[in-house]
Amino acid sequence: MISDAKQPQQVQAQPERGSGKAPVPIWLFILLFLLLYWGMVYFDLRGGWFDPRVYAPYHTFAQVETWQPVSGAAGLFSQGKAVYNKPTCVACHQADGNGVPNLNPPLVGSEWVNEPEPGRVIRIALNGLTGPITVKNQPFNGNMVPWKDTLTDDEIAAVLTYIRQNREWGNHAPEVTPERVKAVREKLKSRSTPFTPDELKQIPASD
Amino acid sequence: MNFGPFIFLAAFFGLACSWFGMVLTPQIQIGRLQQTNTVPAGAVYPVARPGLARQGLSVYRANGCAYCHSQQVSQSGTVCDLVLTDVGTNETALLVALRKIRPAFSEAEDRELMVGLPKTVRQGIPKEEAEAEAKLIGATGAKASSWIIPVGPDIARGWGIRRTVAEDFLFDYPVMPGSQRVGPDLANVGVRRPDMNWQLQHLYAPRIEVKDSPMPPYRFLFEKHRIEHGPSSVALALPPALAPEPGYEILPKPEAVALATYLTSLRANEPLFVSPVSVAEPKTPATNNPANSSVGAEATNAPSSK
Amino acid sequence: MSSPSSQPVLHAPTADAKVGQVTEIDLSCRLPLLVLFLSAATWLVIGWVFQLIASIKFHNPNFLADHAWLTYGRVHPAFTNSFLYGFGLQAGLGVILWLMAQMGNVRLVNGWLVTVGAKVFNLGITVGVIGILAGDSTGFEYLEMPGYASVLVLIGYVFIALWGVVTFHQRLRRQLVAAHWFLLSALFWFPWVYSSANLLLVTFPVRGMAQAVIAWWYAQNFLVLWTALVGLGTLFSLVPRLAGRELNSHYTALFTYWILILFVGWGGIPNPASVPAWIPTVSTVGTVLALLAFIAGPLAICQTLDCSWAAVRRSAPMAFFVFGTICFAVAGFARGGIALLDSSHALHFTWLAPALTALTFYGFFGMVLFGAVYVIVPRLLGVGLPSPKLMRAQLWLSVIGVLLVFVPLAIGGIVQDSKLTDSHVPFIEVTRSSLLFLRASTMGDLLLLVAHILLLANLIGLVVGFYRTRATTTYAELTEDRFKPARARS
Repeated sequence: MISDAKQPQQVQAQPERGSGKAPVPIWLFILLFLLLYWGMVYFDLRGGWFDPRVYAPYHTFAQVETWQPVSGAAGLFSQGKAVYNKPTCVACHQADGNGVPNLNPPLVGSEWVNEPEPGRVIRIALNGLTGPITVKNQPFNGNMVPWKDTLTDDEIAAVLTYIRQNREWGNHAPEVTPERVKAVREKLKSRSTPFTPDELKQIPASD
Repeated sequence: MNFGPFIFLAAFFGLACSWFGMVLTPQIQIGRLQQTNTVPAGAVYPVARPGLARQGLSVYRANGCAYCHSQQVSQSGTVCDLVLTDVGTNETALLVALRKIRPAFSEAEDRELMVGLPKTVRQGIPKEEAEAEAKLIGATGAKASSWIIPVGPDIARGWGIRRTVAEDFLFDYPVMPGSQRVGPDLANVGVRRPDMNWQLQHLYAPRIEVKDSPMPPYRFLFEKHRIEHGPSSVALALPPALAPEPGYEILPKPEAVALATYLTSLRANEPLFVSPVSVAEPKTPATNNPANSSVGAEATNAPSSK
Repeated sequence: MSSPSSQPVLHAPTADAKVGQVTEIDLSCRLPLLVLFLSAATWLVIGWVFQLIASIKFHNPNFLADHAWLTYGRVHPAFTNSFLYGFGLQAGLGVILWLMAQMGNVRLVNGWLVTVGAKVFNLGITVGVIGILAGDSTGFEYLEMPGYASVLVLIGYVFIALWGVVTFHQRLRRQLVAAHWFLLSALFWFPWVYSSANLLLVTFPVRGMAQAVIAWWYAQNFLVLWTALVGLGTLFSLVPRLAGRELNSHYTALFTYWILILFVGWGGIPNPASVPAWIPTVSTVGTVLALLAFIAGPLAICQTLDCSWAAVRRSAPMAFFVFGTICFAVAGFARGGIALLDSSHALHFTWLAPALTALTFYGFFGMVLFGAVYVIVPRLLGVGLPSPKLMRAQLWLSVIGVLLVFVPLAIGGIVQDSKLTDSHVPFIEVTRSSLLFLRASTMGDLLLLVAHILLLANLIGLVVGFYRTRATTTYAELTEDRFKPARARS
């Protein structure tokens, strides 16, 4: 019975009823275009323009950025702790901030770190340090790498705030703001070599 | 047009459109997500669930918990709270600023704000207003910051402090966001109910913990055990109506323990860039605290509100 | 039946087939389609037993609670998979095959392979449902059958659908009508989305929330789009046939087709989903644009019937079709409305969502399939129902049942949403408020179970009637010689 599938027989049948050829009602097309326009406006307002970092109720990336928790000093400190342990600084200065004797100077109780004006530590962090230095009456003579190309102003401000305000290390210097770091970075634009302690001593504190 | 393959092409085109938009692009964007950092602390997020919790995820899947419980916290907006963190040295100037910011409150109430910091000065205000008032307080020498507070019905219900995002489910397989809320949302149940015993009791007999709960009891995840050498430390503490006869105890099977571990591991409350929220810094041991030290000191638990 | 050449061939112009006359086309479809339809009806009854168990558990959580394989979280997906795949897919395929053969005026090609495919398909569903009850569910809603079962389902489907495509290709009447667009696209659509979803979710799983997006995409493409394609294709073919008129109009139907395949596939992502904002936004735009299809399709049907109820009164299958069309429109608009609500509402998480699924897949797709089955099976067998009242009885049971399921759940869902968004209402109150509506929907489920048993009984009754007629005719033919002398004498 199924065998003659290869030669379908002509079956007498009523012709299939044709379909009406009436055109699509024009108001459907008008509605289509109205809805397309609405869709574009809706997406523009809420779609975040395909940015994967924009989640409702935010509508644009700029909005998400403005609603980030403001990095007050508390924010800078914890952010700085993260940067310190990245392991940006911890490798040499150690997690407890005591450094390595004769090799890496300590940050704990260091007079260089605790200076009221942060200009010098900013310069050290940006351009690095070379040459003999005395920290807490101990001599060191090594090289510190520059971080200006690796860390942003925010990160440098944060990590310097962290080491300057770390109570466990007994440091109690004022915080460092990203604006100050940015200002110093501007001044050092043309310089790419590390500082020496003598050079630093000659720069006025408030610079 | 009586050309059959044209229909095939039309169908293929239609499918390709939605496939590109809803399968390929999400895969590129969120299917290749990596771990992110919390903001502002910079910790890695999310951390993969421990092995027992991952087995619990499998039990959750096998028993279809997702048909009654969702794991999606939504958020309808964001507001700011103004939090006072340090009174500074000039209390009178601070008081003047506080009166200006909160005219509806009495001076005594304002004075109360200056002890037991940190304290919330204003709640639920727009960002610009919060920042302006923070500057006003800052000018007096005190310190105040604006905290980012997500709002929405789910958050008001205590189901989370922020909305859930794709990063919260990065390592789960399968991801079961759920489609019904016959039971409460579970995205942060590990924060609300961190006690394993509560979870196990709830699984065994939900009506102990929640009166008239429509959740079915999962007694098959437990077994009745004869007490031989003394009661087991993991035996369930049941009310007399449900307790087994003397000499027997109810012990959870490994599946129950895994499921309870998974449930207590469910949390989505770390602040992220894509879902910002201000959280209190964790408490650290007290150290030498010079007088002007509130700046940089790690804040204690969430500020008491007024 | 004796050999084809000795019988005149005719198309019965109305739904009530003349007893005894079966066309060649129908003959070629008989066995495979009967297997498909009877299996589908059986799965419908099995599925609704599961649903009744699940429904009762809401009122008495201790009901059958001690068995792991009958816990709500396993019985509910067993129900949805039996219903969606066991009934919806099989009956839908059967109707597509018959329509392809009819519209092309050609016999179904290789019907015996379709029968084999149906058996493999049923094996797959059985293994899948048992797997779900045993705890092997994949965890993705509407895709719960474990990988080892979905492979069988896919193979069975391809076995069946392939011959639908070949029958289409070998059609004698070459002109393409609107229904061809819908039905041929549907034949391809399901394996494309099913295999994509299974590959990306089960075999080589993607990472994180992308799984949920793909699962939602699949659910939309199967539950809403595939059913719309098959349902509308069936309607555009059978409604003109039953009413004895032309489809009004071909171009409106094509407009519906293009809107469906371009926009409906994008919908289905709930607004509160934990994904970047563009995904639910694009989904909402797609759902709203798809409203045009939910306007144009019913409009075409309405205009074909001159927007009068006369045809409905005349024939029971037409009543199924018209009810289905109404549910189609209502469900589409409801989906569009929900998509426009923002995240401060939680309607996606309330009982409104399963109510809409029931309205779409049962109220629209199921009812259209019932009507089609009542048109097709009598013609395949050459027998009519013992009484058309049985058809009407099932019609009324199904209509009242689905309304008793949809309306209380929809209202319950809206009440639930208003309580969920008010955070002062304790959560247990939210659940308690929906229990009354659940009770009503359990009544509806009970009615539907009776309706499906009646459907199965009707189909079996038709088959029994066929064998009885054949036995009578054969007996009469065989004993003709015996009675000839007696007749000659009288």
